[in-house]
Amino acid sequence: MAKKFLLLLTVLLVFFIPASILYAKDNDVILHLFWANGCPHCAKEKVFLQSLKQKYPALQINEYEITGNRNNLELLQKTGQKLSADVSGVPFTVIGKKYFTGYYNDETTGREIEEEVKCAIKNGCSDIVETLQEKNKTAIDMNSTPSIANLRVPLLGEIKVKNLSLPVLTFIIALLDGFNPCAMWTLLFLISLLLGMRDRKKMWLLGSTFIASSAFVYFLFLSAWLNLFLFIGFIIWVRICIGLLALSTGTYYLKDYFTNRKGGCNVMGDEKRQKVFDRVRKIIQNKKLLLALGGIVLLAFAVNLVELICSAGLPAIYTKILSQAHLPAWHYYLYLIFYIFIFMLDDLIIFFTAMLTFQAVGVESKYSRFSHLIGGILMLIIGILMLFKPEWLMFG
Amino acid sequence: MKVLKIGAVWCNGCLVMRPRWQEIEKENPWLQAQYFDFDKDKEIMIQYGIESGKLPVFIFLDKNQKEFLRLDGEIEKDGLLKIIRENRDK
Repeated sequence: MAKKFLLLLTVLLVFFIPASILYAKDNDVILHLFWANGCPHCAKEKVFLQSLKQKYPALQINEYEITGNRNNLELLQKTGQKLSADVSGVPFTVIGKKYFTGYYNDETTGREIEEEVKCAIKNGCSDIVETLQEKNKTAIDMNSTPSIANLRVPLLGEIKVKNLSLPVLTFIIALLDGFNPCAMWTLLFLISLLLGMRDRKKMWLLGSTFIASSAFVYFLFLSAWLNLFLFIGFIIWVRICIGLLALSTGTYYLKDYFTNRKGGCNVMGDEKRQKVFDRVRKIIQNKKLLLALGGIVLLAFAVNLVELICSAGLPAIYTKILSQAHLPAWHYYLYLIFYIFIFMLDDLIIFFTAMLTFQAVGVESKYSRFSHLIGGILMLIIGILMLFKPEWLMFG
Repeated sequence: MKVLKIGAVWCNGCLVMRPRWQEIEKENPWLQAQYFDFDKDKEIMIQYGIESGKLPVFIFLDKNQKEFLRLDGEIEKDGLLKIIRENRDK
């Protein structure tokens, strides 16, 4: 009798007790991703989330693009208020009450997100964003994909902006940045002193050390910009500032093209220049080669640092674009080296010509003017794209 | 007519103009031309008021050493030759 009762009880349990009690069922989890066009970190996270979705079928991903949709931006702000979170940067990821600002890589932020997803699947979670959305049903713009349009350029026809490759852009910006004959007064003065020396070996050594040191300073400077943008480039305001900087740089170059037709260099900073020249003289006259080399390295650092601070615009614009390309770290640095080579090209030509012909030569400013025209137009295009179509500037 | 050429070793435009003037002087041996360095010949710079502005500067003087034309920046050889021919008798 007791056996029969136990059997009956078991059958009743199987049929009438909810399956969720018998089996630990997964909870459906919604992950909300607020992202922006042109944000490399967002793109990186989106790729990661796709793989996460395949791994956890219970996971649903809702995406909200905030630059092209005001409602989505408002939803982000409301979510931030609700969570007491700073929402000035994207990607901004929300799972239940947990949120993540920014995305570093799959191993760090990615892992944290996965842990939270696992926890939410196991334990369930209340969805704050969903609650907010119900109040504002029109806000959603899920999975909005930016369309890549073509650019119609006079004479050249239709160009797919995405196809304007990063090496070409690197070449043009570096040429524009480097082709400033008036800025190489230190090198020209150094060459004038080197040409008066009788020791050819010392002449080559000191000159090339100056150029190599200048290039190294520039490399450090560009690397600093790049790493800054890789770190904070996802903040919308940074992109807007760089876009405005590109517009003003483009305007400046075009203005220079139309107003400075005669070329020539402005005479400025007489006292400062004389101080530098005195130092160069002392270095050249130093009979101990090692001391002279050390002196020339320090001189290159000092002179170039001042120049770099004065002309930070183009490096900032270039490294911002570079940081948006999804590249392995060593690719970024290869691009920087390529940039510096093009940047130093006029210095190299002038130095080698002087050393081989024993005559100081100049570069005609008409080439510099031409580079200002091309560069000015390019900067205006970059500025407009950076502000309104940043995804077109995502190479790689 | 005489031409005062003012430049500096560190000035790119001055280096560009140097071979152009060499050719012009070779083709016009009658032309009197004198070079002054911006850093070394301070008296001349003060005399002609070249303490700021652009380099190189070319000052054209007549027989009475009176300035009748001043040019600055990079100037094409043909343009200079035209000025020189037109003012040869000054």
